[in-house]
Amino acid sequence: MKNLLAFIIRNSSWLVAIVLVVISFYLVFSYNSYQRSVFLTSANRVTGWIYDLSGKTTAFIHLNKSNKLLLERNAQLAAELHALKTHLADLQMDSLTTNAFQGDSVPASRFSFIPAEVINVSFSGPNNFITVNKGSDHGVRPDMGVVSQNGVVGVVLKSSSSFSVIIPIVNPKFRLSARLKNSSNTGSVSWNGKELGVAQLGELPKHEVFQPGDTVLTSFSRIFPRDIVIGYVIGQIPSKDDSFNTLDVRIATDFHSVRDVLIIDDKSYDEQKQLENSIQ
Amino acid sequence: MKAVSLFYEFLWFLILVLLQVLLLNRIAVFGLAVPILYIYFLIKLPYGRSPFYVIISGFLLGLIIDIFLNTPGMNAAATTMVAAMRGVVLNLYYPKNEYEELIPGIHTSAAAFVKYTVTMVLLHQTLLFFIEAFTLFNLTSTLIRIVTSSILTIFLILALDSLSIRREKGG
Repeated sequence: MKNLLAFIIRNSSWLVAIVLVVISFYLVFSYNSYQRSVFLTSANRVTGWIYDLSGKTTAFIHLNKSNKLLLERNAQLAAELHALKTHLADLQMDSLTTNAFQGDSVPASRFSFIPAEVINVSFSGPNNFITVNKGSDHGVRPDMGVVSQNGVVGVVLKSSSSFSVIIPIVNPKFRLSARLKNSSNTGSVSWNGKELGVAQLGELPKHEVFQPGDTVLTSFSRIFPRDIVIGYVIGQIPSKDDSFNTLDVRIATDFHSVRDVLIIDDKSYDEQKQLENSIQ
Repeated sequence: MKAVSLFYEFLWFLILVLLQVLLLNRIAVFGLAVPILYIYFLIKLPYGRSPFYVIISGFLLGLIIDIFLNTPGMNAAATTMVAAMRGVVLNLYYPKNEYEELIPGIHTSAAAFVKYTVTMVLLHQTLLFFIEAFTLFNLTSTLIRIVTSSILTIFLILALDSLSIRREKGG
């Protein structure tokens, strides 16, 4: 007994270390991405505040580039608006009878968008995350899709009152059903962890024809509307499976420079989910 | 343990955490090497600091880094283990019973400090990357990341230490 006590006292610092290491490993294994506690992530108030400050500073530095992109986008939208207006005028001239149609009004759009600003990115290892400055106070909740002006960014993983953590395409936990633009066969986009800008489109039937440069769009998904750009095909990679192809896809979103994102609020998400769950 | 040196240590702690999460973790040279500088805090603690102090500050340091990087436990586990082994590593390269408040530094004994830094960084990075790789990714890519990141970190620490003013004597 005396020896045991002496042993404990002599090695007490090692015991403390062992206890702390055990606590750490408990954290590693218990906080897997879906049960992540808001308290211990960058959606937390203090870390969120620091990242917010740093994000604002870098956003200021990038203003020039963002401004230019916005102007380009603006011009593009203006052109589109003009084209649509012309088209509409043509249609009205064509068929005056449609004026007789007395529909209620335009049905409310299913999707609305919450603009948010990226305040932190972590792209140095396999555990990639993006933190943005909108949270549940602004209507953001987990499982909402996130897009940039170029294409899909990721999915909201967790949100606190004013910050949210997004799990991007380039995280091994991300999966999204997708298809090639000129076909309706569905595959699945995921990331193998090798290169930041390149994801993999797998489970695509072998008979599917593709060209490098083909556009990859979202397919049936509870999270994203159909036909949002994910990226562009680079080429085929060797696949172990005989009946399926795997393609390398250049992701449309540039994760190094993404600053402004839109979070997609799907008004019928709950309804659809409830209905689908009710039959299981 | 003078109050002034404790205050300096606290300041260092904050600076290294912010530097790590706001700047260094966004650098990935060739997509592989990430400088993990915060371990410099443990390296620079005075020789005679009690193991409890070293281990608990190591744990807190790792935990705070984890909270910022969304990797609960990973950095905390690696840093605590390195903090626990620090005494052993120090005794390997430094003569025992040295002046208690001696801060290991490149100005006092370059050879010992380099060996000590290399050992500490390699230990830390090895533990860190293996904990990170528990779930996925192959051995070669993990080894390459350990080696490149260690080289980058060691280089940064030695450069930073050569630049620092000679505070060692004053404590």
